[in-house]
Amino acid sequence: MSRYLIKRIGQAIVVLWAAFTVSFVLLQALPGDAILIKFLNPELGLGPEQIADIRASYAADVSVPVQYFHTVANFLTGNFGYSIQAGVPVGDVLVANLPPTIWLAALGFMLAVVVAVGISALSVLTPFIWVRSLFRSLPSLFISTPVFWLGILLIQIFSFQLKLIPVINPGPWQALVLPVLTLAVPISAPLAQVLMRNIDHVLTEPFVAVARAKGASRRWVLWRHVAKNAVLPTLTIAGILFGELLAGAVVTEAVFGLNGIGGLTQRAVTNQDIAVLQAIVVFSAAAFVIINLVVDLLYPVFDPRLRSKGEVVA
Amino acid sequence: MSLTGRFVNKAGLTARVGVSLLAIGWGQASLAADRNKTPSIGGTLVYLEQQTHTNLYPPAGGFYPNGGILNQITDKLTYQNPQTLEIEPWIAEAWTVNADATEYTFKIRSGITFSDGTPLDAAAVAKNYDTFGRGNRELKLPISEVINNYERSEVLDPLTVKFYFKRSSPGFLQGTSVIGSGLVSLATLSLPYEALGDATKIIGSGPFVVTSETLGRELTLAARKDYNWGPAKLAHQGRAYLDTIKLIVTPEDSVRIGALLAGQADFIRQIQAYDEKQVEDEGYRIHAPSTRGVNNSVVFRPDNPLVADIRVRRALLHATNTDEIVSTLFSHNYPKATSIIARTALGYTDLSSKLTYDIDKAKALLDEAGWKVGSNGLRQKDGQTLDLSAYESLPQPQNKETLQLVAQQWGKIGVKLNVLTGDSGTATVNNLDPSKAPVSPAMVGRADPDVIKSQYYPTNRNVLLQKGGNSDKVKSFVDEKLNSLLESLASEPDRIKRLAIAGEIQSYVIDQAYAIPIFEEPQAFAAAPYVNGIAFEAVGRPSFYDIWLAPRS
Repeated sequence: MSRYLIKRIGQAIVVLWAAFTVSFVLLQALPGDAILIKFLNPELGLGPEQIADIRASYAADVSVPVQYFHTVANFLTGNFGYSIQAGVPVGDVLVANLPPTIWLAALGFMLAVVVAVGISALSVLTPFIWVRSLFRSLPSLFISTPVFWLGILLIQIFSFQLKLIPVINPGPWQALVLPVLTLAVPISAPLAQVLMRNIDHVLTEPFVAVARAKGASRRWVLWRHVAKNAVLPTLTIAGILFGELLAGAVVTEAVFGLNGIGGLTQRAVTNQDIAVLQAIVVFSAAAFVIINLVVDLLYPVFDPRLRSKGEVVA
Repeated sequence: MSLTGRFVNKAGLTARVGVSLLAIGWGQASLAADRNKTPSIGGTLVYLEQQTHTNLYPPAGGFYPNGGILNQITDKLTYQNPQTLEIEPWIAEAWTVNADATEYTFKIRSGITFSDGTPLDAAAVAKNYDTFGRGNRELKLPISEVINNYERSEVLDPLTVKFYFKRSSPGFLQGTSVIGSGLVSLATLSLPYEALGDATKIIGSGPFVVTSETLGRELTLAARKDYNWGPAKLAHQGRAYLDTIKLIVTPEDSVRIGALLAGQADFIRQIQAYDEKQVEDEGYRIHAPSTRGVNNSVVFRPDNPLVADIRVRRALLHATNTDEIVSTLFSHNYPKATSIIARTALGYTDLSSKLTYDIDKAKALLDEAGWKVGSNGLRQKDGQTLDLSAYESLPQPQNKETLQLVAQQWGKIGVKLNVLTGDSGTATVNNLDPSKAPVSPAMVGRADPDVIKSQYYPTNRNVLLQKGGNSDKVKSFVDEKLNSLLESLASEPDRIKRLAIAGEIQSYVIDQAYAIPIFEEPQAFAAAPYVNGIAFEAVGRPSFYDIWLAPRS
């Protein structure tokens, strides 16, 4: 167990370092930089000598390898630098933007799981074939719905027409209802799709026929025999969907005017705010690593066959 | 996001077609009605802003989201009357200027405090201007664009401060009234540049104070109950009428407008021309104060050989149909440009006779310059095609659409204009290269003739990309005559002579066809009917000092 964990943590560190380095190199390769965008913009109307001064004061004129080692050393000591565009420490920016995104993503994901499980179950259990095929086509509809359109539609209906939930100045829970709904729809689609396909597959296995032959009801078979077997690949997909959650958050946060990592990423990319981007990349990589570790540790819980080596006891 | 926003807005707009039209003069009529009602104190104004503010160091106040905040929390030495453009007393109750405009003495009003309790006295004013005028390298604070030739300050007594300039600086008095000259406390000035993006750290003496901020999301401003030093000539004295302002960043156009119409917000910034009707049809008011500076224009970079010939530039000027642009893309709030600066700007000269749309003349000029229409329908000369490019400017209203329409119009005389979009880094870098961006959109707002110098002078914004400015890609282009005119504009102490120089520059720029002015750019806001007393400073930033809320009907 502990050897396994140490190995995984070692891998995680390599992944984080690689993410950091690759993003650093890519960001350096872009034309222009945050200082140029900020200070050359007509907004301040500065002359060339003043801009050269500013570049020197930000140490933007030192060589790239030196900058790289500086940044690595700073990150290791928890100093993420300053956001040139916003004019505040990156740490403050993260503190302001991380919690809302974590809430949005977590609740959006949970709702997506509920919706996916609901759709999958109904697509198997509903007695009429046409209702079943209706449920079966829902994931395709969900995945092809543009998030921004859905968000604006929900705002128009529930906030502006029915006036149920204010989008401006909402309470802490009100603020989450529509965005979570918006985010959950596209996330639930691939989950439901994979879940349905696996249920279909497991339903053809001989042991299901045996269970049915012994007199078990469709529902009993689904929950007791099929679900556990069908959930494994879904779990893998769920780990990968984290990336989708971040991407969906960019749009959702912009439409609903929420603060969060999505909006922050968009602004940082637009302004090449490298310090902020590096922090986001490292954070996202860390989140990916952790989520995949959790998923790996969850496999044996659902599938006793994976416990046989005795290595992992969750 | 803007693309998606536009798509939805257009959909929303067509859905509302058919509702009756409201009279254009509505805004004026209701403003007159405001004066007959007694303002009531109290209430919260919900203000929806399109973009997140950036660094709030006062000289960075030119960015609209920043100006919208700084204008509420800081006071200026002087007040520029937005109607007359005269400079009136504010924090300075009196001033004197020597004959050649190299020495300015200001008498500061007594009893003024910053919101941290420290006094706003001559020493504080001196420190502000020393910082804005010379910058602070240690704290990375850049110098202010509006202060030219600054040398030093001298505190004569606790309430009198004198400024010395290396050369004449006639624009300085107006410069003390602009958003970029907001006075802040010594505590704020001692912070490094990187710390000034936090609005709660900007300590001013204004009618409102930032009480809390959620970075990138919202800002709460509370009225200062002891505020008693508004501009002396305003009818309204004492504290602001509102108790609180809640500024919420709402990037999506349709959400801002929808929230206003649904009663969830009271005042919003940034409405595109195509959304105006939808708002006015519901009885809400559009406010579109002029930015009173250099008009929204297309400028040329003559360093690029394709546009080095004045005949080519003149041809393109006459091939541009500004009437069509204004009537197709904009509304009556966007008047057609008749000079390089707005008609409400100081020193304006009407040049509409030189800015005619004349496609035959345009074709003749190109023929004369040796550009013949080739087999592909484009003008060619010595194996080169008249193929130009311009980068879209994101802050300007519908700039991409404007440039695309210009491209269509130029296409009629066989000239190709590629409208490019890029990430900010690429766009900023390439826009400094005349070979990559021979054409560029340009505009800037400020109610002083100095604005023309800001726009064209090589070491300022350098829109024509002359040699010796912010671009190292320029090979040789310099216009000595233009530059010497600009220098005399910034240093001529005599007001009449100065305005005459401003007129001369406008004619010169158009005669050389360096710029094609398109429209006078406003800042568009919308307000709910019960919001009274909406006011704007001289270049269109809102002031919430006078606003009061009538009972909602």
